[in-house]
Order: sequence, then C-alpha cells, then structure tokens
Amino acid sequence: MENKVLTVCPYCGSGCQMNLIVEEGKIVGAEPADGRTNEGNLCLKGHYGWDFLNDPQILTARIRKPMIRKSGTLAEVSWEEAIQYTAEKLTAIKEKYGPDAIMGTGSARGPGNEANYVMQKFMRAVIGTNNVDHCARVCHGPSVAGLTYSLGDGAMSNSIPEIEDTDLLFIFGYNAAVTHPIVARRIVRAKQKGATIIVIDPRKTESARIADTWLPLKGGTNMALVNAFGHVLIAEELYDKQYVEKYVEGFAEYKATVQKYTPEYAESITGVQAAEIRKVMRQYASANKAMILYGMGVCQFAQAVDVVKGLASLALLTGNLGRPGVGIGPVRGQNNVQGSCDMGALPNVYPGYQSVTDDKIRKKFEKAWGVSLPRKVGYRITEIPHLVLKEDKVKAYYIFGEDPVQSDPNASEVRETLDKLEFVIVQDIFMNKTALHADVIFPATSWGEHDGVYSSADRGFQQIRKAIEPPGEAKPDWQIISELATAMGYPMSYRNTEEIWDEMRGLTPSFAGASYRKMEEQGSVQWPCPSEDHPGTPYLYEGNRFTTSSGKGQLFASEWRAPQEQPDQEYPLSLSTVREVGHYSVRTMTGNCRALSQLSDEPGFIQMSQADASSLGIEDGQLVHVVSRRGRVLARAQISNRVKTGATYMTYHFWIGACNELTGDYLDPVSKTPEYKYCAIRIEKIADQLRAEQQVQQEYEALRAQMHVEARPV
Amino acid sequence: MNNVLPSPFVIAEAGKCIGCKACELACFAVHNDHNGVVAAVGTVTVPVIPRLHVVRTESFTLPVQCRQCENAPCAEACPVQAIRREEGTMVIHEESCIGCKGCAMACPFGAISLNKAFSNGKVVPQIQLKERQHNAMVRSAKVIAYKCDLCRTRDHKDGAMGNVPACVEVCPVGALSLVHPDTSVSRSRTAAAMRL
Repeated sequence: MENKVLTVCPYCGSGCQMNLIVEEGKIVGAEPADGRTNEGNLCLKGHYGWDFLNDPQILTARIRKPMIRKSGTLAEVSWEEAIQYTAEKLTAIKEKYGPDAIMGTGSARGPGNEANYVMQKFMRAVIGTNNVDHCARVCHGPSVAGLTYSLGDGAMSNSIPEIEDTDLLFIFGYNAAVTHPIVARRIVRAKQKGATIIVIDPRKTESARIADTWLPLKGGTNMALVNAFGHVLIAEELYDKQYVEKYVEGFAEYKATVQKYTPEYAESITGVQAAEIRKVMRQYASANKAMILYGMGVCQFAQAVDVVKGLASLALLTGNLGRPGVGIGPVRGQNNVQGSCDMGALPNVYPGYQSVTDDKIRKKFEKAWGVSLPRKVGYRITEIPHLVLKEDKVKAYYIFGEDPVQSDPNASEVRETLDKLEFVIVQDIFMNKTALHADVIFPATSWGEHDGVYSSADRGFQQIRKAIEPPGEAKPDWQIISELATAMGYPMSYRNTEEIWDEMRGLTPSFAGASYRKMEEQGSVQWPCPSEDHPGTPYLYEGNRFTTSSGKGQLFASEWRAPQEQPDQEYPLSLSTVREVGHYSVRTMTGNCRALSQLSDEPGFIQMSQADASSLGIEDGQLVHVVSRRGRVLARAQISNRVKTGATYMTYHFWIGACNELTGDYLDPVSKTPEYKYCAIRIEKIADQLRAEQQVQQEYEALRAQMHVEARPV
Repeated sequence: MNNVLPSPFVIAEAGKCIGCKACELACFAVHNDHNGVVAAVGTVTVPVIPRLHVVRTESFTLPVQCRQCENAPCAEACPVQAIRREEGTMVIHEESCIGCKGCAMACPFGAISLNKAFSNGKVVPQIQLKERQHNAMVRSAKVIAYKCDLCRTRDHKDGAMGNVPACVEVCPVGALSLVHPDTSVSRSRTAAAMRL
C-alpha cells in the first residue's frame, strides 16, 4: 500500500513542502508539494535526499542503541542504564564545579523546534545555566546580532516569495544556486520579470552569471565596500532624507565613519572599480523596491556583525523596509537554524528572543518552570575550545545533533577539547566524527521518524510529520531529554510535540497564535503571530515601526579590518570554505544517500584558478595536498575560471578533504563567529597519483570502519 | 501524410539554469529502475550515468543533451545499426552496441557518452573478452553508448502533454523544456505574420 506523508524538506532553510511516499514502512520516493515557498518544486536534495533513512551505510551507520564508553570502548547498553549513568555524571559535575561547567547545544537540523525548546529548558531549568548555543554561531549568528541591533529582529525582514516581485535584487556573498536552489528559482524569476540583479561575490556564481552587474570584490574586504556604498548614498544625496529623519537614528556618526570611504579609496582595498560602486548605488537608491539577500560571504568573517549592520543601514538609508518586496534577507543555511534560534537555543535569550537578563521575563519563565533561573548570559559554542583548554572552566558537553569536529574550525583543537572534557554526551542519528570522542551516545529519531515544527528562513513555522518507524531503540530527542531531566530530579513528561509547542506558545508572545491547527490550515505561519486570530506576518516593520528599544532603525558603520591570517611566502593562497549543491552540512545525511553520494564523493574538491594550477603544474581532477598552519588534507583539484587567482575554495562536507582541519579559529568579537572564509594555505602537487588514490580509498575504508559501517566492499 | 513531422527534443535555457544537477539525477533514476536505484532496499553499485550533462564554463551553465537529429550523424556512424529512430526518438539498442565510439565522435553536441553496461546493479560482463585484474584474468565489462531517449520507457504521468521527460519535470527553475518543432515553428510563423 502506497501512502503519502506531507512534510517539510530537511535540507536548507527554504522550507520546501514535500510528500514522502511510503510503501510497507519504507520510504520509496519523494514528490514536491505546493508549499508557500516552493510552489510544487524541489531541488535534487529534496527529490533524492531521503535515502539515508534506509541506512545504506555508505559513509556512516545509524545509531540504534544507547552506548556508554566502558574501559575505552563504546558498548551498547539499555536506555535505563544510559540515562541513569548520564544523570549521575551530570549531577556530580554540577555539584563539584557548578552549573556553568556544563555546556549544551541545540540542533538546527532534524529534531525540530519542540526538541530545541526542551533542550534549552533542560539546560536552564535542570542544569541551571544559560550555556546553550548551536551552530547558528558558526553561520548566521552575526545576522541575529546585527539585525537585532539595527532593526530589532534577527531574521529575514521579508518573505521568500516576495523575491521575485522586487525591482532590484542586491545579492551580497550569497550563492543561492548552491545553497538554496529553490530560492535561486525566485532570483531567476525576478530576472525574468525585469528586476535588476546586482551581485557582489569574489566568485562568478550562477547569480553573478545572470546579473546585470557583478562586482568581483577581493575576499575579506566587505566592510570597505559596504562603507563605500553608504558614502555614495550620502555624498550624492541619494538617500531618503524624510525616511531617515522620521524612522532612523545614528545618521551623524554613520556619516562621519563612512566619510573617508570614497569609492576610489574602496577600490584600492576591494578591487571593485569606483565607477561601478557609484553605478550600483544609484540603481539601488532609485529602485522603487529593492531587496538585499546575503549569506555566508558576509557572516563567516571575523568582521561580520559590522557588515550585517552596514547592509541593514543601506536599506534604512533608502527606505527599503516595511513594505512587500524590499528589506534585507539573511537566508538561513540549515533547515531549522531559524527555528533553533526562535526556540532560544542561544545563550542570551529564551524562546522568542526574550532576554535572559530582563528580570521581568526571567520571572515569567521561573514561574512557569518552577525553578529559579540563572541571570548570567551563557557561553557560545565557539568559545568552548578556549574555555576548556586554556581556562579549564567547562567540564561536560551535551552535544545534540551537531558534529563540531567536522563543522567547526581548527578540527585538531576541537578533538583536543573533547578529549580533555570529563564528560561528553552525543545525541544523534548517525555515528560521526564527534561521536568518536563521546562518553555516552543517545540514539535519536530522524526527520521522517518524528513529528514537529521547523521554521523556514523567512520565519515560517511549518509542520514535519512522522512517515516511518525509527530503527532499533532510537527515541525522539525531546523524549530523551525529558527522561534525563526526570532522572536528575526535574520531572518532565510530554505526551507529544503539540503539548511542548503549546507550552512554548504560552510563554512567547510573538509566537502565541501559531497553533498546530493554524499551521495545518494555512500550511505555514510566519512570525510574529501574537494571537489566535492573527494570520502571521509576511514582512516585518509595517509602518516603519522597528522592534529596537527606541522603535527606530539604527545606522551603523565601522572601520574595515583585514582578515586575521594573510597569505605569505610559506602559505601563499587564501582559502574560503563553501558548499556544493548535492551535499548538506557535515554530510551524514546526503553522504548516506545513494544517488547523491554517487554524484560527488570523497575526498572532496579544492577549487583554484587556471593560473594557480598551471604555476603548480596541477591538472584538473588530480589529487593534491592542502596545507595550513593547522593541518594537512588530501583533496581533488577542480580548476575553474570562475575564481580569482590567489584564492581557493573547499566545500566543508567532505571528511577526507576536511577543510576544517585547515581553517583558523579567529572569531568575530561580537557574535564569536569564525573566519571560515579566509585563511592562508599552500597546495602541494603529488607526483604519485596512483598511490594517492589508493590512500583516499584506505582512508575512506578506515573512516567507515570507525563509523560502525559493516564491512563490505565499496 | 506528406509533411515531415520533426522529432521533439529537450533543450535548456542558460539564462535560467542554476547548475543544480537535479536533471542528471532524475535522468539517472528513471533509467536505472532495473538497477534498484529507485527501489527502497539494496545497495546501488552502479555509478551515476546521466544521459544529459550539466556543462559549466565561465559564461554558461546548462545541461547538454541529444537533439534527436533528423539526419542523425550518430546513426550514420554506427557500423552495426544499433541506433534507430523509433516513434520520433533516436534510440540506442544496447544489446547491439559494440562500444566502437563512432556515434560519440560523430555527435556534434557531445551528447553521447560511453560507459559500462549494468543490469540488476551489476556490471554486464563480456562473453569472451577477458583482461588481467590483480593477477587474474576476468571477463571485461561490456561498454555501451548512452544518450537521451526522451524517457520513452518511463511511465508517464502526463498523458495529455505527450511524454514529459524526467529532466523537464524535475527542473526547479523550469530551464528545460521538451520542444515540439512543428508547434514551435507554427507558433513563430503566426507571431511573425502578426508583425507583418
């Protein structure tokens, strides 16, 4: 019997709705549904990315039973033993070192909003710390910080469907064709409907290819260019004086800072021609409706929050907010990274971005949860290596649906951190590199095996639904956390996700009206949705009322700072980490889908210019060594005439060609987001290609064995 | 009927293509039903062999595929007549193909590629030809030519439109279309006449 289950795709923040086709308890296919953002379309991950649920064990194996490390090796145990053991260990660590010695993560991937709500509640109410954070930190953390400062809400101001109805798209450091194909569809449609497309990116992306103007800036010079944009808007009096007077603050300071960033000065830093800078700002300012979209090319620098604020300032100066088809869009990378932020899996806020330092709000949560809550802002995940290795402050780490060894910068330091910690809990669906360092492993259910709600990048709550039974003894994340809380003396029992969702809504005014029933009826509910009779909010700041404390938009500019590690004689090339369309995040999911892994597999690629390849004597497809001050990996050369000479790019999905063995852990001072987009490397040619190919095969086999994949030929 | 009815073909628009390769995978899945690709169990041991290929140059990104040429140079080049026109589609008869590469060389679009033949997820071996592998003589793999067949063997959902190939159906940006030259030409003719 064929059965169709309506759900939301687990890849990227586009929030595409789809039907899973289930036959005899197995998923056999997927087809697009008519969702608000995808309108009956899916990309290749949506179409073919469900196969990991069949556990084909290509890269890793599903975790089926709880495990405890006993005399060095992970041994399968009963749930009862695993929960009891963990509860005792955490309680002992809390008593000995205090609650702030324990760190926890949210998960921006499969688990869903309810599990994240329960996790942050566990850390705050049961452990007694605000030490909860998640991978938004290494992603759009700067957007949350920057946009909250500038406009009030750290999310896309406008909706994905509005992209195609704007007059001008201003795309900065955002490669939609690779990261969000279904958003790229809107960009293509905007172009066809006559919108002007301006793309700022060091690489010639697909958007750059179809753009009216492409500004190929030098990597690491964003702030200089954004300041020059502001300079032109003011110097040429292109900005909307009335709008600024009525709705915006900080003009004088802003003007003073951007004063020296003339287009000519910016050209000397960015390599973008002064005339082009002037041209695009004249176009941006004169468009009736202009929308900014940006991505990791803005956020993954040590100067990221400043640039986010700078981009928001351009929208504020030109009055491009508070209407349909305008605004600023940080397009969120992971399927539920918006949601895990929404649910307060962040060290400074409860659900709905309610501050932990606000006494009135804290009292509300204390009353609801029946405990006193910590008032100190917690640690961020990117600070953990330093806090463990240098300051000895964190002793236990509860890692829920994340793989920091693969996803965080400077992997060898992350491994050292995990090994030094007294107690590491990993809760996941697949064995991963982080799980190798765990003391306890909890097997969780996957997307497709549980219910819940995801938040799409444009603030849309949408329901995910269970289609098949989980393997082995895997349990839903919220259930595992609840059992652990109960074992630690704080009883938590929920019958289903709706009960959790309703508790969360009752405490969060901006999500209060987004009931399961409304989601069911409307398909999607965009926050804010304050009451039962409210349909949700497609675009923010109607009437130009901002949600900042003064109610006005805040202009901000800052001096440009160069990236921390510059190429030199020993490491002459720059490296930026990027993504590829057929794979997702740390690749535990897509790397275990047969069709997707066939399309692109280990060891992964390093993109370089023809000139750099020629000078090193490297041919397309050859294996090379990539070396930085922190590590050395194998990767396959991909020669492209779409990248600048001197710049290289590696995707972060691959485990052998793991670019995060190379990246540095320089952080943005505000959001603590690492500078993935810039470090110095060198490439070494390998003379014996045959041997290198064998080495890749051997490393792959060794990895798979570590990941509990049953022995069988590849 | 006296008029020649030209064959339909699939073509892509570079102005829309985002290079996502959804078309390549859809093509692979449709043509590998017999290899267990779309089935839920088993392990795929066959490589992804799409019959259209996304090409990315500095200024272009788009998939390239067979034009179903009326005077097909591939068929002319085939010494064993393995390429035949069937219901308006140029079809390679895999069982007859000798892997001579003549069609691939003759195709001006590079739309034909040679690869190992697979059946039930396993390489199809030659009957006689052997080669040395790890100091043992093993039967060589049969190699055949692959190209777009407009998904002629697929169960089509959309009967009214005629056959909608998988790549056209899956493309999220609508960059691919199945062109019926007769209707397209007559539409252009009408449009031109209106301008006169």
